[in-house]
Amino acid sequence: MLVKLEGGRIIDPAHNRDAVGDLYLQDGRIVEKPEGREPDEVHDVSGKIVMAGAIDVHSHIAGSNVTLGRQLMPELPLLAAAEGQPILPSPAAWGSYATGLRYAQMGYTTVIEPAMIPTHAIQAQTELASIPIIDVAGLVVLGNDDYTLNLLRKGDAKSDELKDYVAWTLAHSKAIGLKVINAGGSEAFKFNARTFDLDEQVPAYGVTSRGIVEAMQKAVADLRVPHPPHVHINNLGIAGNVDTAVATLKATQGLPIHMAHIQFYGYGKEGDKGFSSGAPRLMEAINKHKNATVDVGQVLFGQTITISGDILRQFDGRRAANPKKWIINQGDGNGTGLVPYKYKKKSFVNALQWAIGLEIFLLAGDLWRVLFSTDHPNGALFTRYPEIFHLLMDKNERSRWFDSLPEATRQVSTLGSISRELTLSELAIITRAAPAKLLGLTDRGHLAPGAIADVAVYTNRRDKTKMFSAADLVFKSGKLVVRKGDVVDVTWGRCYHVDPGFDSQIKRRVKAFYDTYYGADPSWFGVTEAVSDRPDRFATIRCAS
Amino acid sequence: MDSTLQRAAELLSQARLPVFGGLFTDVKGAAAALSLARKLGGVVDHAASEGTSRAARVMRETGATPASFGEVRNRADTIVVIGSMPRTRDPKLLDKLFPTGATLPRPGDNKRELIVVGSKKGKTPSGVRVTEIGGKNALPELVALLAAAVREGPFDIRDSALAKKILSAGERLRNSAFAVFVYDPAELDEPVLHTVLEAVRHLVKTTRAATLSLSAPGNGEGVNLCSTWTCGLPVRTSFAGGVPENNMWAYETRRLLKSNEADALVWIDALDGEEATPPARSFRGVPAVVLSSRPVQAGRDDVVIEVGAAAADHDAAVFLPQIAGIGMVKATAANSKKPTVAEVLSRIEALIDAKGAA
Ligand SMILES: [Zn+2]
Repeated sequence: MLVKLEGGRIIDPAHNRDAVGDLYLQDGRIVEKPEGREPDEVHDVSGKIVMAGAIDVHSHIAGSNVTLGRQLMPELPLLAAAEGQPILPSPAAWGSYATGLRYAQMGYTTVIEPAMIPTHAIQAQTELASIPIIDVAGLVVLGNDDYTLNLLRKGDAKSDELKDYVAWTLAHSKAIGLKVINAGGSEAFKFNARTFDLDEQVPAYGVTSRGIVEAMQKAVADLRVPHPPHVHINNLGIAGNVDTAVATLKATQGLPIHMAHIQFYGYGKEGDKGFSSGAPRLMEAINKHKNATVDVGQVLFGQTITISGDILRQFDGRRAANPKKWIINQGDGNGTGLVPYKYKKKSFVNALQWAIGLEIFLLAGDLWRVLFSTDHPNGALFTRYPEIFHLLMDKNERSRWFDSLPEATRQVSTLGSISRELTLSELAIITRAAPAKLLGLTDRGHLAPGAIADVAVYTNRRDKTKMFSAADLVFKSGKLVVRKGDVVDVTWGRCYHVDPGFDSQIKRRVKAFYDTYYGADPSWFGVTEAVSDRPDRFATIRCAS
Repeated sequence: MDSTLQRAAELLSQARLPVFGGLFTDVKGAAAALSLARKLGGVVDHAASEGTSRAARVMRETGATPASFGEVRNRADTIVVIGSMPRTRDPKLLDKLFPTGATLPRPGDNKRELIVVGSKKGKTPSGVRVTEIGGKNALPELVALLAAAVREGPFDIRDSALAKKILSAGERLRNSAFAVFVYDPAELDEPVLHTVLEAVRHLVKTTRAATLSLSAPGNGEGVNLCSTWTCGLPVRTSFAGGVPENNMWAYETRRLLKSNEADALVWIDALDGEEATPPARSFRGVPAVVLSSRPVQAGRDDVVIEVGAAAADHDAAVFLPQIAGIGMVKATAANSKKPTVAEVLSRIEALIDAKGAA
């Protein structure tokens, strides 16, 4: 079937395109205008905005950590809805099914779950397979697991065993890439450390955080995984941690790195309260280090829950739990901390966090390296993205919020003096083109012929919150799934992963390791096609050779 | 087979409040049951959900401090086993928790110790120092006393030998590098679960501590997790209203049958090596659709469907304590032709859909 989207303003920054034109979709792909053929279906989108389907690089939507959060706080959607957040007041509203539908309504068609636990990959992939419409992929977490640390202790970082182990883990969990969360910090927590810095040594293993991250960057680069490790660096949320972020950037020595939810590291310690915006300094460093990409982790005021493999940080954060309950799950590898949290507009710190996130976007020299995220649900629920788009695109909206912040926050924030407004093209960079580029998903995030026919059509409104909350039309792989903000067809997407290949010796070694220390067999947590009943569920992204 | 499924679809589409009970099944079976229950406005429960429901409620009220099995066996220096169920449920538990072979590096340099509360210590691993805290006192009281000793709070019992033991156990726990309390939530009432959690939360102010809760029989955790990611709530949830509602008292299978609130039962018992205890008086009194991997005695009007046993007749994703999560278990019987619970329920759901469309 040939579908024509007629007369829309096509915004495709990957091809420097912002012009009125037609778009043709056929067999799930975007195609050139076919000569001498009438379309089977024409949608008049004149006056509308046409973009590629959006891609979320960092959103906790599946897996044992997220479901533990649901167990702790089934009332989250009810509390959020009561505050006026755009979510249905039902515990099911952050379940798998609702997640897929809501993302599609906003024009999102690909979402990355950023923290699969290797031993719980089957649950993560089973959950992902129960999310309708959107395509997905998962990052798998290493760096606080004893197998890796043992290799690094032996000084084998440069041997191929770590590379093989990383490759085996990626394949075993069907992950698209690697995540490293507070490298060594979670392991140190097991030895009762309560803080952990870039150059501190992991007890019993002697390796530093810097050493772990560097080894992982090298392994991933050697394996030619098309995108770098996503690193959640040390000292999250602590005043003065902009130093850690800058030091980590320096430590990368030019090797590619993606730094997750960077807003949480944009903190200085100036001023009366010892907490200030480090965004200008952070952005100066990020603008300079062209090997680095970041996602922002913007916060918005309101009720949410924080879910993180940074157990050391979450342990400290438990005191701020709101409502007053928390889980510290001391699992294999990283473990998880779950702390309900309410960002308050009246709080000096929360208000400054909000401003710092926006400063990071607006001070970016190269938006292709500064990607959109709230680290859902850690900074804000994903259902609230349109509010943030609004803030980035409309300085009056920003002032309206800014003016209601505490006096003390306004005094130390530079946000009020920034007049930049992101254009539609720039928004398409941070929510489409750049995420696709980072992930090596070359078939999406743009609208050139050959791309997957993931397309979102919006009505151009002044009120960007309204504009992006409900797309006029959304096509997923060429199928119309959303019309006027309503889901009209529940389709099922695919899961993308890499399989870089490894020396099969590693299987024997890992098996022996799990047998000795866990009384378990790695085959128990190997993800196979069987997690889904749909035969074409998995698609492999090639690693360049 | 087709006519049997047709009868099941007929029976269920007439039901006002069907309860999906037993649920001794794999994750796919649970997902299919949840899907059908949601469609029919029914209730989901699990035959071993007493303990998981208590644990779930405690978690919702105040949180949790779990540790994985791997962390406990490799790194705990003091393990407190509460009650008799942990070792009744898994007679090899202590051998697993105190492995004689190599372990991963662990914090501190204490020798590993075992504290047994409220049951006989029985046979314990050699080389492990064991303290038995028992006697005439009831288990909740012993736990409360131990928790008081941990907090160095006020303490008053007549049995001075026991008092001494408890105080010394409290001191040992405070001086542990990683203390873990092991229990089966089905054996402890909610106030006791709270007491244990508070003791752990006191300890973590200065050292490392955690709980290890025995997983429920019949893939109880796996079914609960699947329910939670599907509808946001664990089992004992009703889909009768527009919004799913969880209530550990109201949506329990036996109560729903006894009170005649449920007017149909879907009973699922299809896991290798484990048998769900059926609701009282077999299935009499309420029309039932029974999916079982073993022969069952059912009423004349009941629909009985033989299904494969998960992990025997087909590969199955179930909760595995060793990895503290859902893992895949390979089928032991090759070439079984028996249908899975998921297949049967999906076909029933399709038949019900077709009826609705007709
Ligand atoms: Zn995150």
